Amino acid sequence: MPQFAPLLRKDHQPVRYLVVDDSVFARKNIMKMIEVFGGEVAGEAGDGLTAIAEFNRIKPDIVLMDITMPQMEGIEAVERIVRQHADARIIMVSSVGYQENILAALQKGAKHFVQKPVKPEVLYEILRYVLGDDPNAAGAPVALAGEHQI
Amino acid sequence: MSFLPDERGAELRALFFESAGELLQTINDAGLELEKRPADEELIRSVRRAIHTLKGDSAACGFSKLSEIAHELEDILSPQIGLLHGQRLAEVVLSAVDTFESMLSAYQKHAEPPAPVPLRTLIQQLLQSSQGTKHSSKSVVGSIAARFEWNEYERLMISEALLRGDKVFNIALRVDPNSSMRAAAFQLIRNVLHTCGTVIALRPEDNLAAASVEIVEASISSKHPIEHIAHRCKIPAVVSEVRIEAAEHAESSEHELLGDLLEAQAAQISSRAADTPVPAPANQGSSSSAVAAVSESSLRVDAARIDAVMNLVGELIIGKSMLHRTLTEFDVHHARDPVRAKLAEALAFQSRVLDELHKCVLKIRMVPVEQLFRRFPRVVRDIAKLCGKDVALEVSGEHTDLDKGILDALSEPLTHLVRNAVDHGIEPADERLGAGKLARGTISLNAHHQGTQVIIEIRDDGRGIDLNNIREHAIHNGLIKAEDATRLSDQDVMNLIFEPGFSTASEVTEVSGRGVGMDVVRTVLDRLKGTVHVTSNKSKGTTIQLRVPLTLASIQTLLFRVGGRLFAVPLSAVVEITRIQDQEIHRVDQREVLRLREQILTLVRLDQLNRIHPVEAPSGSKKKRNFVVVIGLAEKRFGLVVDSLVGEEELVIKALPGEIVSSDLVSGASILGDGTVVLILNVPAILSRLARSLPLGAIA
Repeated sequence: MPQFAPLLRKDHQPVRYLVVDDSVFARKNIMKMIEVFGGEVAGEAGDGLTAIAEFNRIKPDIVLMDITMPQMEGIEAVERIVRQHADARIIMVSSVGYQENILAALQKGAKHFVQKPVKPEVLYEILRYVLGDDPNAAGAPVALAGEHQI
Repeated sequence: MSFLPDERGAELRALFFESAGELLQTINDAGLELEKRPADEELIRSVRRAIHTLKGDSAACGFSKLSEIAHELEDILSPQIGLLHGQRLAEVVLSAVDTFESMLSAYQKHAEPPAPVPLRTLIQQLLQSSQGTKHSSKSVVGSIAARFEWNEYERLMISEALLRGDKVFNIALRVDPNSSMRAAAFQLIRNVLHTCGTVIALRPEDNLAAASVEIVEASISSKHPIEHIAHRCKIPAVVSEVRIEAAEHAESSEHELLGDLLEAQAAQISSRAADTPVPAPANQGSSSSAVAAVSESSLRVDAARIDAVMNLVGELIIGKSMLHRTLTEFDVHHARDPVRAKLAEALAFQSRVLDELHKCVLKIRMVPVEQLFRRFPRVVRDIAKLCGKDVALEVSGEHTDLDKGILDALSEPLTHLVRNAVDHGIEPADERLGAGKLARGTISLNAHHQGTQVIIEIRDDGRGIDLNNIREHAIHNGLIKAEDATRLSDQDVMNLIFEPGFSTASEVTEVSGRGVGMDVVRTVLDRLKGTVHVTSNKSKGTTIQLRVPLTLASIQTLLFRVGGRLFAVPLSAVVEITRIQDQEIHRVDQREVLRLREQILTLVRLDQLNRIHPVEAPSGSKKKRNFVVVIGLAEKRFGLVVDSLVGEEELVIKALPGEIVSSDLVSGASILGDGTVVLILNVPAILSRLARSLPLGAIA
């Protein structure tokens, strides 16, 4: 896997992630990338309900959320989280066939989406973008991140 | 050139001068900030907005010279100009304020305005030196072939936004060709555009059409700089290329039409008040809609009308107290009459409402002292520059409310005090460094409420006032005799600076020699029934405290009787009331004194004030008891001997015609409910009368 400059929060601490996917394999795959980006996996969830509980418990900087899950779908989880935390940064993770669902999630307040299979360099750029959206920073990236070296 | 009916024209002119004053203040404030942060684009934009409005308004009023020069200045104010010229830009902006001000005052007097030649030269100079880089000021990022063909409604929205002073950007985004989810990509672009500003136009218009589209075009109005928007629009995995350009000021001649300008102004005024932009209606060419919009949330009313209401409320308060007395009389004769209770109830209700009404009317006259304070940053800057000093101004408590009349009256003395502080108070930088201070001097202005008074303080950290210098100076000018000088208390010496004739022609400088001496400061404060108090620490600085009543219209007073007549003193001047036996009064040096808790207090008898000569020994019964009202003004105290106390009363002050009372010892009169006239004592005047008839040091 290529090397990436660490993505850090404004306070120089590692970015804290919540990874939500019903497939353990998919979770591990994403978690490995997060490690490479210098992040910290603060929590995991295999369904929407757990995701909401975990979000409230750990208040992550970023949520990576699968679209299709048992018990509660990703869209509903997005809607519920954003309703309580308007500034939550949620990135949808899904394969091409679910475009309608992603569209709906974006309308509910998700910040971005990434296609499966997830390419680390794409995810890295998306994370950098989403982390830089602090409205108070007016263009200044929140995360300290150098150009990634491959 | 105005083709409006005369009356409406005059009203609009008045509105124009008022709003132009506010605009100049805005430009002035921004100019001062520009001195510190010359490259701040937002500041330059706010200057440009204000100048744009001024240009439009003055054109609408037919003041073409002002509008032309404003136009020239507006033209050079690109957001990047600050980077090129730095401090020089601030200089131009500030001198523009001065030029506009003198032109406005000429227009106001129906005179021909001075030709703005110096400003025009400054603008030309800036223009010439930035010619080489002019192209960079046209903001375009990227190179996608885009058409930006908006429909009529969208074009109207864009020009409205530009007219409001907002930035409008045309944006073209190429959807990443690798993206296999175009509809989702388009949705995300939409989301991002909404976070960047207000989306005015968007192509394609819906997600369905987006599935096959490669380029998204949009027009948004935004407060953010173009770089920020470009940064946000580079959405990874969704957008592969970005083009942004600032929408042009499509200033066609029809925008100069009076109706348009008035509408724009109205929209601006009402949005300023309500904080939400009001979309101006499409061209109706009628000025009545503009005027209606102005009156929606705030009114501009002639002060004289408010004074008339205030007077009537004063009459009502007198009427209330008449009713109360009548009810008391009624009580005596018909104590058991059932009508009495009804009357009392109605009266209580009426009193409550009247109290509210009184408070409301007073509030109308209240304005924040900021209206006065905000001119001082410029005053301090100009004088400091003239004196070659580095002086910072700190302002606090600017939201304190004060009667508009009082605030206006304070303007001259306060300006004088601030000038003085910079010119005489703050030392030159090398002297400050030598004294172990920071090279930069600090002047602080503070306002706050204390009871029914407002206190305004001017503090500097300068060299302080040398009492010995004042003594010498006063002897030299013949204000005091050399032998008296040593007997004066420090506070009395300090107060000598307020004596007429203290400041002399030899001290007149360009800055402080404006013919306003400290005596004027005290005269104004006396008139306002306020006080001025100086404390100074040698080499540490000087604090001047102005105390004024919240409002001139009515005051809380203490009523008392002397020799059968009813008098009042402002309650704020009363320190305490004590009861004494005649034998406690001693005579020292031709005056009566009282020892009150180890302090010697001079006693004043109103019936003897006009002839303070040998006081006859208290005659009559030695057992006679008197009330002494201890009056305090700043550090000075005296005791007023009164026959009986009547009580506290809120008095509505009536000005007295000169022929009724020929003494300056009375500052006004009021009428009680039963028609009795009360004279209100002028405490400062009594004190100065005492000071003249008795050695100053005697007033402990």
